[in-house]
Amino acid sequence: MPGGGRCPDCGSTELVEDSHYSQSQLVCSDCGCVVTEGVLTTTFSDEGNLREVTYSRSTGENEQVSRSEQRGLRRVRDLCRVLQLPPTFEDTAVAYYQKAYRHSGIRAARLQKKEVLVGCCVLITCRQRNWPLTMGTICTLLYADLDVFSGTYMQLVKLLGLDVPSLCLAELVKTYCSSFKLFQASPSVPAKYVEDKEKMLSRTLQLVELADETWLVTGRHPLPVITAAAFLAWQSLQPSYRLSCSLARFCKSANVDLPHPASSRLQELLAVLLRMAKQLAWLQVLKLDKRSVVKHIGDLLQHRHTLVRAAFQDGMAEMETQKELQGRGQGEEVGSSSLGLPQGKRPASPALLLPPCMLKPPKRICPTPTVSTVTGDENISDSEIEQYLRTPQEIRDFQRAQAAGQAATSVPNPP
Amino acid sequence: MDQNNSLPPYAQGLASPQGAMTPGIPIFSPMMPYGTGLTPQPIQNTSSLSILEEQQRQQQQQQQQQQHQLFHSQTLTTAPLPGATPLYPSPLTPMTPITPATPASESSGIVPQLQNIVSTVNLGCKLDLKTIALRARNAEYNPKRFAAVIMRIREPRTTALIFSSGKMVCTGAKSEEQSRLAARKYARVVQKLGFPAKFLDFKIQNMVGSCDVKFPIRLEGLVLTHQQFSSYEPELFPGLIYRMIKPRIVLLIFVSGKVVLTGAKVRAEIYEAFENIYPILKGFRKTT
Repeated sequence: MPGGGRCPDCGSTELVEDSHYSQSQLVCSDCGCVVTEGVLTTTFSDEGNLREVTYSRSTGENEQVSRSEQRGLRRVRDLCRVLQLPPTFEDTAVAYYQKAYRHSGIRAARLQKKEVLVGCCVLITCRQRNWPLTMGTICTLLYADLDVFSGTYMQLVKLLGLDVPSLCLAELVKTYCSSFKLFQASPSVPAKYVEDKEKMLSRTLQLVELADETWLVTGRHPLPVITAAAFLAWQSLQPSYRLSCSLARFCKSANVDLPHPASSRLQELLAVLLRMAKQLAWLQVLKLDKRSVVKHIGDLLQHRHTLVRAAFQDGMAEMETQKELQGRGQGEEVGSSSLGLPQGKRPASPALLLPPCMLKPPKRICPTPTVSTVTGDENISDSEIEQYLRTPQEIRDFQRAQAAGQAATSVPNPP
Repeated sequence: MDQNNSLPPYAQGLASPQGAMTPGIPIFSPMMPYGTGLTPQPIQNTSSLSILEEQQRQQQQQQQQQQHQLFHSQTLTTAPLPGATPLYPSPLTPMTPITPATPASESSGIVPQLQNIVSTVNLGCKLDLKTIALRARNAEYNPKRFAAVIMRIREPRTTALIFSSGKMVCTGAKSEEQSRLAARKYARVVQKLGFPAKFLDFKIQNMVGSCDVKFPIRLEGLVLTHQQFSSYEPELFPGLIYRMIKPRIVLLIFVSGKVVLTGAKVRAEIYEAFENIYPILKGFRKTT
């Protein structure tokens, strides 16, 4: 209430400053008469004091959900529905997306990254609830590149400080095997190829466990191992009709994609099974190979714990005994020669239980690094530096060659 | 290639027990023979395990040699197995594992080799990259691809990126001294090309080392017990990424037992990080 102001209509001193939209006015609070008005337009000098603020700098961003975020949240819900996840998963994934969107790095990211972020939130939700969802599935559904996905995923985990548990192998086996179209006869699946789901599932699980125990799973993508195990399980349930079927044909009949590493996983798994078979007396005489061992997978799996322990000795113990013997005397051989028994009579000596990468010979010999006596402050001779400088003749030649090259590219094509 | 087009046909239980393992690191290693006159060492601050202290190292080596034969017969039965019932129950109170405790007398005996050093230096003057590319034999310059000259020298075998602002990055050396010598040689080359190059603010930015523990490692087990530091995604990368907090080093641990350490500014950080991780890796040596 400014001092000395009176309403011209009613004479009251109760004048208030109020604005009508952007126009400031002095109004009498008793009768409502407008005493004075501000200027509606501003002069150029006045406008110099008003600065336009970009939307990203204003607080408007925090007050409402941006269209891009709304789109992202809708995509998250759509993805959860396509994957037929339980409804609570949807809410968690949406919460993660919103949390991620608070960070400026995500808010300002490209649309491609925001699209991939949708998949990352769903993946983290599924992993935390032990729902077996592979990154490959999400990338296929989102038409995303695995490299972009992996970068965004690692960034998101770091940003939100999350503990994401590993993919649950047993659940993945169940889900993946259930997707094989082998449990009912169809035009692409002959009658002899149809298999009972439970039998195949349980045998595949046992084979995957065996692979895990013998170092075939650590560090590798899980899906090719599961494919190879499922193939062996399926073959071994009716070997007489199915031994002739190849891995590729099996995947085609089952209507799943054949992952490229599956064939080498298959060979590794067969090698393990062969080693185990050598420990069983009645199989030793049969002289099995990679095809015939499939018929006996049932027996081998039944006794797998004992057989693995018998067939493989701990890699570490073997290495330590070798070291000790080397310490005692050079050139002493471990094993049968020290016992004085001929090699043929003894049962197969246990192989080392090591991951395949440690059993293969190294691709290149790493040279032992020579001890360097460089101090960093040595004198640098002029001749050494001059070997890196061009002579004037070389410079001229180089410039001529460059000019000729440029002239060639700038000449238009002859008509 | 790696596709799982199936839709899970059944509902999962919502509560998920996530790898219920106490991250208990035994404070006193049960492998310490209590009756042999070697008192169990108290937990030491790892900064005091600085490898630069020659005397301490020699002491440790002597003790280690004495203990090595004693442990050998015991390792097969008494080693603590994560997840299996240990014969010596490890303390159930989970330690805040910022600095894994290392008993001073158990040093690994393995020294990581330095593989790469990245350093920067300021030549202190603006450079004309076209002139450098024209007059130097060992330079390549493709402004459309990258805004710097790539120069290489044979001894020490290194590569340098030289920018027009006068800043230079030197990579590929196998030791700090070699990196410094290489950077000085590049500066001398630039000087001889006619620029008033100086040698200001030489700084080592990153050091990479590698070594081999020579036994296979169960990465799945390691990520369960050291969740806060580890990231293991076999679908993306075959190794486990371990981000150690003290010292601030990133380790890539592979199933074959090879370990790559990176992110160090000084050599001692790499050695310290390896001495910290070695007892942890030894714990994952045995399967059931």
